[in-house]
Amino acid sequence: MKSYYDIVGDGGSDIVGQVEAQQERIVRSLSGVRNLVAVGSGKGGVGKSTLTMQLACALRASGHAVSILDADLNGPCQARLGGLKAWIPVPGERGVPLPKAPNGIGVVSMGSMVPEPRAVDFASVASGSSHTWRATREFTILRELLASMDWGALDFLLVDLPPGAERIVQYAELLGSSSLFILVTIPSDLSRGVVARSIDALANTPNRILGYIENMDGYYCADCGNVKPLFPASSKVKLDLACLGSVPFDPELAALCDRGGSLSDSPQSVSWQSVKRIVEKVVRAASAKALCSEEKA
Amino acid sequence: MKFLCVSCNEAMKLREVNPPERGSLTVIYRCPKCAQEFAMLTNPYETQVVGSLGVKVGGESAEGVGESKCPFAGVVQGLTEEQGVANIEWTTEASTRLDKVPEFARPMAKVGIERYAKERGFTRVDAQVLDQAKEFFGM
Repeated sequence: MKSYYDIVGDGGSDIVGQVEAQQERIVRSLSGVRNLVAVGSGKGGVGKSTLTMQLACALRASGHAVSILDADLNGPCQARLGGLKAWIPVPGERGVPLPKAPNGIGVVSMGSMVPEPRAVDFASVASGSSHTWRATREFTILRELLASMDWGALDFLLVDLPPGAERIVQYAELLGSSSLFILVTIPSDLSRGVVARSIDALANTPNRILGYIENMDGYYCADCGNVKPLFPASSKVKLDLACLGSVPFDPELAALCDRGGSLSDSPQSVSWQSVKRIVEKVVRAASAKALCSEEKA
Repeated sequence: MKFLCVSCNEAMKLREVNPPERGSLTVIYRCPKCAQEFAMLTNPYETQVVGSLGVKVGGESAEGVGESKCPFAGVVQGLTEEQGVANIEWTTEASTRLDKVPEFARPMAKVGIERYAKERGFTRVDAQVLDQAKEFFGM
């Protein structure tokens, strides 16, 4: 009797072919993107989304073409961080053009399609079973977004990842082996411990981690101009990774986030200077990756 | 998933797919050799898993089979309640362009574009209206 592998095709639906065609569309759609950089952590609440937007602002300020994909479908922040209004995807000739935030950065986020406080809700024909298919649906939606948007020519496409140390591997697979990762932590062993798990998970992938950013590294006091400790000094958990820099907690940045502003509006702020220094390192590290790839080719 | 006619040792071919009824798909296969047919009846969980992959049982041209519903149902409902159901025609070119929108967002895009067109006195959506809407929503 014939086995599965003796039979060519699946009799008519070509499910495998449909999935492969979608993957090819993603490759075509992203062909103009030089650096695909995922900003993750594993840990939630460490400021991944805030840093993603500020890194994008600093990249743009240094002359790079940059856009953001908010991969956090259930807790999307980038629309608010970028000050985007409600958006309807209208197709152009080459796909769907990216909505531009007032700061000029293209931002694709569920947050601009589903108004607050409404939750994203994927209705199902199998009620009460969303836990069995939800992850598959989410990654399908991300694949569709990657394939359908007109990303154009970009120096950097930053992907703001949701939390989950083990899930970071699934995003690495989705974004491809050449995508780069930046991990964000805060100065606590609790957070570093989770980030260490993400590093361990990514070690099994071909993807390169550019380094980590220590966010909320102290509290910036505007009155005295000093950065004071925010977390107890402790560093039992060491991250075996290059530190790209640290950013202090800055109430001004928190206020900016709520109204969709950028630190670049306050060029002298300590936080902006920190983000700019980090971006210089990111650009250098990404260039090194490009050189390395060219040499291998 | 593939199906084999055991008596003929021949791969069965898909003949017909019926849209989901209460979450269950009916997929009929036929043996090209002995013409024996059987129907695969999926349970709602199986239907949902296939739909979640973004693929369609019966091939890409199959209509509405195995799709997950739009996550923007509430948004779409809000738009239609605000403006009423728009009686707007779509040209073939505009409809083809709409296919470039991710499938999960297409119902919301369609209603939003129709609303944009209606507010400006257009009675049909063509490439020109789409270009104008693209500029408007591009921010």
